[in-house]
Amino acid sequence: MLSFSLVTQAQLHCGLVSFEPNTSESAMLTFDTPAKYQGGITINGATRLKIRVNNKNIVDPLCSWNLTMLIDNNPGAGTPISEWEKLILYGNGLGQNPLIQSLEIRIRNACSTSPNDGIYQTFTLNTDIIDIIAPLLPITPAGSCTNNVNGPGDYIGNYDEFHFDIDIRVIPKFAFNPGVFQLNLRFHLEENP
Amino acid sequence: MKRISYVVVALLLFGATSVKAQLIDEKDVTITMDLQPVLQLDMTTPDQIEFVFDNINEYYAGITHYGATILKVSSTVSWDLYAVGRSSGTNGAGFWDQQIDYGSGNNANAIPNLPLSLLELKQSQANAGATAHTGTYSDYSSAFTPTGTASGQNSLYVNAGTNTPPTLAGKYIGGHAGVTGIGDFLPGGSYLTQTGTTSNYYYSIDYRILPGLPAIFPNAYSADGATAQDIVTANVAGNYAEPGVYTMYVQYILLEDQ
Repeated sequence: MLSFSLVTQAQLHCGLVSFEPNTSESAMLTFDTPAKYQGGITINGATRLKIRVNNKNIVDPLCSWNLTMLIDNNPGAGTPISEWEKLILYGNGLGQNPLIQSLEIRIRNACSTSPNDGIYQTFTLNTDIIDIIAPLLPITPAGSCTNNVNGPGDYIGNYDEFHFDIDIRVIPKFAFNPGVFQLNLRFHLEENP
Repeated sequence: MKRISYVVVALLLFGATSVKAQLIDEKDVTITMDLQPVLQLDMTTPDQIEFVFDNINEYYAGITHYGATILKVSSTVSWDLYAVGRSSGTNGAGFWDQQIDYGSGNNANAIPNLPLSLLELKQSQANAGATAHTGTYSDYSSAFTPTGTASGQNSLYVNAGTNTPPTLAGKYIGGHAGVTGIGDFLPGGSYLTQTGTTSNYYYSIDYRILPGLPAIFPNAYSADGATAQDIVTANVAGNYAEPGVYTMYVQYILLEDQ
């Protein structure tokens, strides 16, 4: 019975899940005036996620997917779990290195399919995960233009549901050490078991 | 029985290796943040502040220029701000430059070497980051002393004509010497976001010169305010400042806490 249960969890329901393209991207935030420190820098559309989820040739009614994002500060370099990875420090570095929670992420698409659509959210610690479309939700078919669309489809046929704009914002104010710091934001697309 | 066991083991292995078999794709976005240090001192002041002593009252009472300099700080790092008296050194390090010598200039009691510390400053807002100081005066926030009461509480910091920062015994406008992190700095911030009538990022500076009669500049003192540097103390009784035109400059230095 145990073996049967494990096999059931592993069953594939979809034929393909992918970001298109899935190449890495980068965003640079340069703070060089008091106004930028105070007002922050926002990059709207820092990246755009275009999703394709195909069903199998023999249609499986259980094909659905989830989309999450995870923060990574390269702890292998000795980075404390709540801080940005330090690449270089300017000055004497006697203060606090930037905290992960200073990075704000906003997800948008025209159908507001994510329950967190349009809301700036923050991570606190390395490997924290934020759901865009949460795992294991009931299937909401493409074309319904509502929350949590997670059925098969793609950004060509249903652009407003299978496309996400990712905005990033940082408002450091005057709390952190000057220097160059880095974080990696990983988007994870997976079919639901 | 053995065959059944093999089947179960095979199924278990199959199950274990298949748990992560869901289709997955990932995409990374690397975010780099360059926090460049910004230390910005905005200063509003005349090109020259003139003190013209041409009647007796001015020698006795001195001349004060109120609010002649406005200092506004924006800093992304913890900071210190100090003023230091400097000159080109014509009359020696630590003295005003004599541009013109009135009269014959032959009187041995007329001294052309006027200490830079004779200039007095008063800052509008007390230094809120100076509890670590060890000297008598931590800043220039005290009111100018009445005529006739010699004091070094407002005398300008001078270090032999250099711009070296004051020690713990000296005066800072904001912050102080040392990096203990307690009472020796003011935190990053900007005058732009401060409200109310006082701010640690905004200072109005008054200047006073009090020659006295005879003109010995009784409020000239050493950096720690403990040693008088007036003309008589620095020379001999009977000496006085030689009439003439003198120049010097005040350098305001904003730097990361150190």
